[in-house]
Amino acid sequence: MKVAPRRVLPAAIALGLAAMLSMTALRAAQASDAAPPRAPDTIYAKTCGYCHGHNVGPVIRGRALPAEAIEMIVRHGQGAMPAFKPTEISPAELSALAKWIAASKADSKEHGQ
Amino acid sequence: MSGISRREILRAGAVGSALLAGQAIASPLGGPRMMPASMDRDVFAAALKDLRAIVGVDWVFADETSTASYKKSFIPDPLGQHIPSGAVAPASVEEVQAILKVANRYKLPLWPVSTGKNMGYGMATPASSGQMILDLKRMNKIIHVDAELGTALVEPGVTYQDMHDYLEAHNLPYWLDVPTVGPIVSMLGNTLERGVGYTPYGDHFFFQCGMEVVLADGSILKTGMGSVKDSTTWQAFKWGYGPYLDGLFTQSNFGVVTKLGMWLMPKPPAYKAFMVRHPNPEDIAAITDTIRPFRMSNLIPNGVLIMGAAYQLAMFHRRDEFWKEPGSIPDEVVKREAAKRGLGMWNTYFALYGTDEIIGAIEPIVRRAFEASGGEVMTAAEMTGNPWFEHHQTLMRGGMTLEEIGIVRWRGNGGGMVAFAPVAPAKGEEPKGQTALAKEIMGKYNFDYAPAYAVGGRELHHIIFLMFDKSDPEQEKRADACMAEMITRFGEKGWCAYRSAVSTMDLVAQQYGQTNREVNARLKQALDPNHIIAPGKQGIA
Ligand SMILES: Cc1cc2nc3c(=O)[nH]c(=O)nc-3n(C[C@H](O)[C@H](O)[C@H](O)COP(=O)(O)OP(=O)(O)OC[C@H]3O[C@@H](n4cnc5c(N)ncnc54)[C@H](O)[C@@H]3O)c2cc1C
Ligand code: HEC
Repeated sequence: MKVAPRRVLPAAIALGLAAMLSMTALRAAQASDAAPPRAPDTIYAKTCGYCHGHNVGPVIRGRALPAEAIEMIVRHGQGAMPAFKPTEISPAELSALAKWIAASKADSKEHGQ
Repeated sequence: MSGISRREILRAGAVGSALLAGQAIASPLGGPRMMPASMDRDVFAAALKDLRAIVGVDWVFADETSTASYKKSFIPDPLGQHIPSGAVAPASVEEVQAILKVANRYKLPLWPVSTGKNMGYGMATPASSGQMILDLKRMNKIIHVDAELGTALVEPGVTYQDMHDYLEAHNLPYWLDVPTVGPIVSMLGNTLERGVGYTPYGDHFFFQCGMEVVLADGSILKTGMGSVKDSTTWQAFKWGYGPYLDGLFTQSNFGVVTKLGMWLMPKPPAYKAFMVRHPNPEDIAAITDTIRPFRMSNLIPNGVLIMGAAYQLAMFHRRDEFWKEPGSIPDEVVKREAAKRGLGMWNTYFALYGTDEIIGAIEPIVRRAFEASGGEVMTAAEMTGNPWFEHHQTLMRGGMTLEEIGIVRWRGNGGGMVAFAPVAPAKGEEPKGQTALAKEIMGKYNFDYAPAYAVGGRELHHIIFLMFDKSDPEQEKRADACMAEMITRFGEKGWCAYRSAVSTMDLVAQQYGQTNREVNARLKQALDPNHIIAPGKQGIA
């Protein structure tokens, strides 16, 4: 998503603008009440991974952490970690996420704090 | 988490979890069930039964375990005055209406939250114990994004991450403006608190357009153009007709907001981030006076951050790496450690947006001005790879990060943080005076002054994050006392907060004077005569 400062290409901008104007207003797909559970790696990437292995929290992948303890910590929060509610991560999602983290391999790009 | 170390729990697995659960019950949050104030147990039970009939058994939380997530907060609460009795989570506007009806019947106080991540201000916890959290996170639809106008209509549960993903998935040429904690917080919740971000759309309430509010009696108000039958202009024009009502529902308890319109910033063809380093604590005056004309003329268009070195260090480091004494960390130590990492005592982050030609024309003007103020002006050419520069470069284009939450662990693993955010006019001597006063008071209580000034058009939000270790009861009490003294003594100088933690809402409201309080009280009485929506919010009963 990084936008590198670049030379302006008037033609490209004009094209982009035309495409934009021809687009009709978008209507977001109405997420049905029974939205399918999100996959563990998605939740990890869009929540946990911003802190864990990324300057804020300790690395938690590849450590075979017990799944029950992971669930407990997510629901209660711990120290500088906020708690995540059942409305944010459903019980089924959390159970799958905790198992996924417990069984995960370490990612060499991650670093703890 | 006193008593048992987290390592032991993790090693012990399921047994450890049981220990943790046991400890939660043994904590001051446990013991006898927290109840709504002056409500009998059987009346509460009857109310819960009615709520379950509306949202289903899975979405009413009223026992010790299931309420745990709603209790977690970073702020000091030594007397346990901000403990919810439970939570109820509706999935639709109709369910919100039905819940309000039940609340009126039983006089059950409800504290609405969107994502409940009001970190440093109380998270999801209420202004007084016993209120039930009205958790709106399940209402999480992006209802409409207008690709031509660049407007969005969202429900409370939509996070900045959700909108970011939506814009990417639909390849829409717009940028978001995020608070520094975008991925896990609500666009609607942040905007209702009148939160800030760091692109040219940084003043969120300014870029809000239209809302839907469920009033305490269940009626539905659409503000602005939204009240017009078959309106096509709800998200296009803010002011509507007659008195402008949207402001009444921000930082307030006059209604439950269920939809919010926002404007999105067209993605600029070019973007360039700058960092200006100043070496001395007193340079805050010169920095402010340098920025003011550029913000007033909009030559620098974004929400500028002037970051104190201690705040920057706290993001990625812990206090005991640099300083082990109980007293405040001295300026010399902060300055030395900052310098080692390519940081000044103040680090000012701003950005230019537009085309290369526009940026090329403005850059020399602002460079000259900042250099004349004693600053060193840096860009990606010099700073790529510096984690602080990269962080702010991400923020000023509305990118996703949670790195700043690192400051919550500065004082220890227990975590702990509460914000005091007084406003200063953008005139050098005033923030200089505020900095001196904050340092003096925090020094008295042995806390470290770690500031960030967020620059608006003509003022600065002076964000003072008081970092403490919540696992130490003595520090928790001291943090609470320090906060009260700061608010009081700043108030004596005419400096007041733009927003406040649940623990200090009344104290700050007093500083805004009796007439202001009475007008709010009369509005409250008219709109919510049973006082069921968030009593105590911003000091309004
Ligand atoms: C390190 C750090 C950095 C931060 N940086 C920023 C920053 O840059 N900018 C900033 O603005 N904040 C910042 N914050 C503070 C805070 O985390 C954010 O403002 C966050 O967006 C607020 O939480 P939320 O969005 O979950 O709102 P919520 O917690 O859901 O709502 C906040 C409050 O608004 C009211 N409310 C919410 N929804 C409704 C509704 N539907 N109807 C009626 N009332 C409602 C309630 O009183 C609620 O308590 C920071 C915090 C930390 C710890
Ligand atoms: C805002 C940052 C943040 C987010 C988001 C976050 N955590 Fe944490 N987490 C932390 C911090 C900080 C700690 C260390 C707490 C301490 O020192 O006691 C932690 C600790 C943990 C621990 C204990 C690890 C150990 O070695 O002690 C686990 C397990 C954990 N988190 C899981 C998760 C999961 C799963 C998610 C995603 C659902 C998540 N966290 C999201 C910040 C975060």
